[in-house]
Formats: sequence, C-alpha cells, structure tokens
Amino acid sequence: MTDARVTQRPSYGPEKPVALVDLLDRLLGTGVVIAGDVVISLAGIDLVQIRLNALITSVRREMVGR
Amino acid sequence: MNGLYAYAITRALDADLSGRPGIEDAPLRLVELEGLGVVVSEVDLDEFGEDGLRRNLEDLRWLETVAVAHDRVARHLAEHGPTAPLRLATVFLGEDSLRARLAEWRDDAERALDRIDGRSEWSVKAYVDPATVAAAEPEEAPAGGGAGRAYLMRRRAATQQREAAAAEDARTADEVHEALASVAVAGRRLPPQDRQLTGHTGEMVLNGTYLVDDTEVDAFRATVDRLAATHPRVRVEADGPWPPYSFAGLETP
Repeated sequence: MTDARVTQRPSYGPEKPVALVDLLDRLLGTGVVIAGDVVISLAGIDLVQIRLNALITSVRREMVGR
Repeated sequence: MNGLYAYAITRALDADLSGRPGIEDAPLRLVELEGLGVVVSEVDLDEFGEDGLRRNLEDLRWLETVAVAHDRVARHLAEHGPTAPLRLATVFLGEDSLRARLAEWRDDAERALDRIDGRSEWSVKAYVDPATVAAAEPEEAPAGGGAGRAYLMRRRAATQQREAAAAEDARTADEVHEALASVAVAGRRLPPQDRQLTGHTGEMVLNGTYLVDDTEVDAFRATVDRLAATHPRVRVEADGPWPPYSFAGLETP
C-alpha cells in the first residue's frame, strides 16, 4: 500500500521571492549542526548576528530601491 | 583550494541532484554513508574559508546571494524526500571529514529525518494594525489644579492606554501561537522582525513557525483564517511550505 506521505510531496516553489529576514531567521538559527572540521560555521553565525544590527541602515537603503 | 559547502542531509535514495545547481552554479554532489547523504557543492575557500566567511558574512548582498542559493537547493531536495537543512555556511575541508561527521551524527540525523518526514514548515506572522498603534487620545484634565498637573495627567492616561494595548497585543500573540502550535506537530516563536529590515506596516507581534503534516495543511490554514477572524485587531499571514529548517535540529529529541 502506498504511503500518502511519500508519494504526495508539496511544491516548495517558492511562489514568490523569499524575504531575506525570513531566510536568515531560519538559516542562521536552528537546523542541523555538524560540528568539527567545519570552517567557522558556528563562530561565523554569531558574528553575523552581532553585525546585523550595524547593517540595518544599508539594508534600508537597498529596500527603498526595490 | 576548494571546500565543500553542505546544504542538507537527506536519505541517499531520495536525493535528486539534477536540474538545480548550487552556489555560483556549481553542480550538486552527494556524499553518502549508510543510506544517508549530505548534499554539497564545491566552493572556493578564499571566499568560504575562515577568513573569507568573516569578511563576506558582513556583506548583506553576499549573504543574501548565498542564503537564497542555499534555500533553493533545500526546497528542491524537499520536493523529493525528507530534507534536514544545515545552517548557512557549513563548509567542510574535505569529503573524509564530512563522512566522519556524518558517521558521528548518523542516529540523530535518522531521527531528525523521521521527525520531519511528510511534514513542512509554515510561517505565521501576526501584525497589529498601524491605525490602532497610534497614540490614544489623552483624557481631558479635570477642572482646577493648573496646567502642569493637567499635562501630567494627560501623559499618564496616554501611557496607561498604550501599556494596556501592548499587553493585549502580547496576549493575542500568545493565543494565536498556542492555537497554531496545538494543531501543528510542533511550533516555535522566532523573534519579531525589525520593521527597518522588512518594511512591514504595523507592529509584528508574532513571528511563529510551525511543523505541519503535509496532509493537514488545509486544516492548518483554516485555523489561521479562523484566528484572523476572531482577532480583528491583528493581521495574520501564513507562508509556506518551507523546508523544515526550524525542526530538523540534531539536538532536538
């Protein structure tokens, strides 16, 4: 018997462009973490979170232009 | 010199790497171990090595390009089987070290894939209408007492009304989140997003994200609509499906 979960996968599109902040909420946040022999993955994430505040002005400028 | 940018963990049988390139159009490749696979593409370590990342992660344009490419790969993989996305900028120096890590995390990765199988992530945000955020009309001061006292009383009344509204908004956000989390498989609250980053109107009182059975999406969306109707003060927006970024952590039981 076919498992409905296996055969009917949704379309992930995305239907419209994905908002950067939504991406960063998820890509910088949780998800699978593999430690060891990984180049600066975790330390780099912390750096980004600290620096993001400083980048608000430049992002705002970019968004006005869209 | 190249490293391997790792996008997600999948079951090796499910991985379909055709038709979707990775970062800078590099081809996707699968590094397998005992039925599990990590989907990777080659990247230049000048750009993605330790120094390169330190530099580039501060460049929002670079960050956006990489995040969008990573997400596109995760979405493509999710269409073919349960996919546990990795965090941004997970870069391995070689296949051997990647396989060694995969061996270490094998059991937890299997559990994560089982947990998200047949399920997707849905974002639900709630905003308070900008018109209701405007400062409340201050009360008229009572007769007598002088202009100074009247001013203070108006200020206090306005502050109290604002605080009461904020408390009500927080309760509403809690109610919406609890209701959604109870119909979903799982739910979590992300920090509300800064309006300067998103350009949204009003105040974001809930930035929720939920793991939903793909067969239950219609019921979930109906719940979102019902919550929007019963809480007229807030605007509620659902967006999905997303690959299950927030629910595929190896450390989650």
